[in-house]
Amino acid sequence: MPNHLRFFSRLAAAALGALLAAPPALAHHSFSAEFDAGKPVSLRGVVTKVELINPHSWITIDVKDANGLTTSWMVEGGSPNVLLKSGVTKNAIPLGSELVIAGYQARDGSNRAVGRDISFADGRPLFFAGSKPDKAAE
Amino acid sequence: MRRQLVDARRRPGPMKLRGDAPLARVCAAVILTALALGATAAEKPFKAPRTSDGQPDLQGYWTNNTVVPLQRPAAYADRAQLTEAEARERLDKALEPSETEAGTDADVHYQLTDYGLDITQRKMNLDTRTAAIVDPPDGKLPAPLPTAAAKAKERADYTRAHQYDSAQTLNLSVRCIVWPHQGPPIMPTGYNSNLEIYQSPGYVTIITEMMPDARIVPLDGRPHLPGGVKQWLGDSRGHWDGNTLVIETTNYTGRTQVPGTPAGLLLTPDARVTEYLERTGADTLHYRFTVEDKNLWDRSWTAEYPLVRIDGMRFEYACQEGNYGLANTLSGARVKEREAAAQGTTPRDPVPPPRR
Repeated sequence: MPNHLRFFSRLAAAALGALLAAPPALAHHSFSAEFDAGKPVSLRGVVTKVELINPHSWITIDVKDANGLTTSWMVEGGSPNVLLKSGVTKNAIPLGSELVIAGYQARDGSNRAVGRDISFADGRPLFFAGSKPDKAAE
Repeated sequence: MRRQLVDARRRPGPMKLRGDAPLARVCAAVILTALALGATAAEKPFKAPRTSDGQPDLQGYWTNNTVVPLQRPAAYADRAQLTEAEARERLDKALEPSETEAGTDADVHYQLTDYGLDITQRKMNLDTRTAAIVDPPDGKLPAPLPTAAAKAKERADYTRAHQYDSAQTLNLSVRCIVWPHQGPPIMPTGYNSNLEIYQSPGYVTIITEMMPDARIVPLDGRPHLPGGVKQWLGDSRGHWDGNTLVIETTNYTGRTQVPGTPAGLLLTPDARVTEYLERTGADTLHYRFTVEDKNLWDRSWTAEYPLVRIDGMRFEYACQEGNYGLANTLSGARVKEREAAAQGTTPRDPVPPPRR
C-alpha cells in the first residue's frame, strides 16, 4: 500500500476506533439504571414462561437451589423484532427447557436479571444472530 | 458517491470465554456480495418502475443501516470520500466484536452479537463517504445559535439529573411514545434500522420498523395543518418532482430532536424538514433531507443516506410503555436514592428545570 494510503488508512481506523470507543447507542433504556453491575448472577433453571414483547422480551425460569427450594426469576432479553429475524420464535424456547444464564441482577434486589448470555443446558447459545437455534443443534 | 451493496451479516464463529460468562465471538468473515452499481448505472441509466397509477415506485422494505457517521470525524479533515479499500477497512473494523469489562456498567447489557444487535449483522451499503452530511461541505453540523445552545444545555443538564424521577420524566423512546430516528428526517438506529414504504393513489405511507407509526403523506397539494396542531412526526405534505418524491414536514411538537445533534437541541415548531426520495436501482433508494430551523441554526443543513432493499415482512414493533423496564428502572433509581441517603450523599446534583 502506498504511504499516503497507509496514512489515511490508519487515520480512518483511528477515527472509527474513537467512535466505537463510545458505548453503543443501541440500548432502548439505561440497563445500568435497571440492573446492577455489582450483582452478577449465574442462573440455571427451567423455562416456565416466554414473553416475546417489545421493547424487550422476558423469559421466566424456575431456579432450584441446593436445598431443593425453587425460586422464580424473570430474565430480560432483546427485542422480539431482532430475535425473530434470527429465527427465534416462541417455539425456539420450549417451556420446560433448561437454560443457563449469565447476567446482572436488578438494582432493587428482586429476582430479575438481564440475560447477558443465555444458553441451553447443552451449551447451545439460545440467541445467536444469523443462526437459528434449531439449526445450531445440527 | 460510490456505493456497493454489501451483505455484512456475520457468520457464527467460535465461542470465547470471558470471565465466567461465555461471550459469543464471531469470525470476521464478511460476505461481500458486491454489485458494482455505480458502473452499471453509468452504462445503462436506471429507469424507475411505476405503480399502476403512474407514480415512480418506491415501495418495499428498506434499510438505512450504515457505519457512516452523521458528522465527519475530525481525523478525516477535509476528506469527503474514502477509497473503496479504506471503506472496506472501516467496515472490517466495525465487524470486530466490541468487548466490555465484566462488572462495569458498560457490561450490563445483552451480548450484542448473540442478540443480533450488532450494526454489522444487517445488510448495508459499502459507502465511501466520511459523513452523511453533505452540506455544509465540511460534513459538520452548523454551530447552534448561542441562545439555542444555552437552552439545549439547560435541558440536557436537567434531563441527566431528573430522567428517573418519574414515568413522565423518562425519555420518549423509553416510554414507547416516539423514537428520535423516526424523524422526519428518518435516521439510522443501529438495530431494526428498517422502514417500509407503500403507495396508494394520492398518498405515500412510510413506516419505520421502530416505532411502527404510519406517516401518511398526502400528495394532493393540500395545505399543512393549522400551526396550532402539533404532531410527534410533524405534518408531512408531498409532491413529485420528476422521479423524486419531495416531502415537506412542519408542525413539530418542540419535544423531539434529530439524532446526532447536540443533546437537548430540540426541533422547534418553526422547523421545516424537506426529504427527497428517489429510486436509483432495483434494490436502492436515495434518501436526502434538509433541516431548517431558524431558532436553532442560522443556516440549513443537508444529509444523505442510501437505502437498500431488504426482505419483508416488517414485524410490528409493538412497544408498550417500556413494558417491565419502565417500572424496573424507576425502582432501581429509588434504590440508588436510598443508598445515597444512607451514605449522606445525593445521587445527583440538583438542577433547576429549564426555562420554558
